[in-house]
Amino acid sequence: MTVTSYTERPGHKTDEADSLSVPWSRPSPKRKGVSARAVSAVTILVVLALWALSARLQLVPPVFLPSPAAVWTKFVTVTRDGFVDATLLQHAVASLGRVFAALVAALAIGVPVGLAIGISTVGRGIFDPLLEFLRPIPPLAYLPLVIIWFGIGEPSKILVIAIAMLAPVALSTASGVRGVSQERINAARSLGATRAQVVRHVILPSALPSILTGLRIALGAGWSTLVAAELVAATRGLGFMIQSAAQFLVTDVVVMGILVIAAIAFVLEFTIRRIERVLVPWAGRE
Amino acid sequence: MPHLVLDPHLVLDKVSIHYDGQAEPAVERVSIDVAKGDFVVLVGRSGCGKTSLLNVAAGLVAPARGRASINGKPITAPGSDRAVVFQNDALFPWLTARENVAFALRLRGIRPAERARRADELLELVKLTDAGDKHIWELSGGMRQRVGLARALAAEPEFLLLDEPLGALDALTRERMQTTLLDLWTASHVGVLMVTHGIEEALVLATRIVVLAPGPGRVVRTFEPGFSRRYASGEAIRTIKADPAFAAARGELTDAIFEGEAA
Repeated sequence: MTVTSYTERPGHKTDEADSLSVPWSRPSPKRKGVSARAVSAVTILVVLALWALSARLQLVPPVFLPSPAAVWTKFVTVTRDGFVDATLLQHAVASLGRVFAALVAALAIGVPVGLAIGISTVGRGIFDPLLEFLRPIPPLAYLPLVIIWFGIGEPSKILVIAIAMLAPVALSTASGVRGVSQERINAARSLGATRAQVVRHVILPSALPSILTGLRIALGAGWSTLVAAELVAATRGLGFMIQSAAQFLVTDVVVMGILVIAAIAFVLEFTIRRIERVLVPWAGRE
Repeated sequence: MPHLVLDPHLVLDKVSIHYDGQAEPAVERVSIDVAKGDFVVLVGRSGCGKTSLLNVAAGLVAPARGRASINGKPITAPGSDRAVVFQNDALFPWLTARENVAFALRLRGIRPAERARRADELLELVKLTDAGDKHIWELSGGMRQRVGLARALAAEPEFLLLDEPLGALDALTRERMQTTLLDLWTASHVGVLMVTHGIEEALVLATRIVVLAPGPGRVVRTFEPGFSRRYASGEAIRTIKADPAFAAARGELTDAIFEGEAA
């Protein structure tokens, strides 16, 4: 039985799973049949079809739900001719610029803070409560205060996004630092490493996979703060574009903007996963 | 053993180790003296404090009483004069095998070309000539321990502290690694302090075996087997192990380890 089950499912080398006899709980990537990805593709197609169908049958007035074709047309025209004085690309670049500026700021502050939390008790005592305080506040809540303090210019918008990114970066860094194996640190010290060298040559690289995970979560958090950040006195940006369109009930631009934001988020996520694979190929292989 | 130290010596003098929150000391009044060129092996049942003693020598654990010193200077922190090799190699997975070996040299700010040259020499010494560019996760357990040994030797230590370095390896790899260890020991003239669970391993490698018993950890016997000297002077490891004297020593050592068992 062991032999046959082994040859039937090369992915499984133990027969403990067999004794449990819960076949549905076995992860079996090599089994024939539907993959999760195929199911996802079908789901998306079904949603699109339902959307198109309801638009065709005019179940909902176009001002509430424009047809996929209308949204696509808007995508083409806004890309070419622009909307509220900027093309789609210019809006996207403005938004991406803010998010990346915020990311740089969040990394510059969050990584050292995370290191401090992970390495020293005093650091943890100082920063942990501050982060725990900041983390659950929705961006729209601190937006007014940021505007009162820093005005309505570009720095405020970047700051709002950066605040949303800070906690994920710092906390992921801290958990990465705390997860560094003591043996690795001891080995480095016995090879003559000073405290600073241990941080630079052992702790930081060991925590890098966690830091990158934090970066990925932060980028998601920052990107979803975009519309809030562009609520006030923006002249460009995807969030600004959606709000302007909403004020004039140009629903097809609103929907198009939402889809573009989602698509960019997807691409960012995908890109960072690729970067992770290149930068920390050892993660999960130890 | 009080003495004027001229040769390099790693000395634990009546060392007691007491961990916080434990009623009994882990180790009580243990003295061990490792001279350069010695291969001292600590054996004993679980809980006898072998690894604790090694950590005191490494400077990772401070003794509650007694004194740990190297060349007459007290040991207060880890140092590259006593490089440690751990059971779970503790290699750095973001570096290649060569970069791991060169780690101590990098800490000292030695130029990359020189680092690579030294590292390749050491990789050759541990018989991993072609593995320099490999990533750690591409290496087998035995190869990883070889990299770990080469990395420790790169620090040019006077003493090597080995904490069950072969413990995680399969029996065949272990056997081959024993001769590798002996070759390194003879080639590098370091003093070795090693912890092991393997009785045969202790006999093959040690110039001196210190048998410890638990509760609290203390020295019960000391052997000077001399088989490793025979290997160093050219005798084959197979011949040594087939010698009736080896079997006799094995029986004696086993008895010594389990002596306190009944008590």
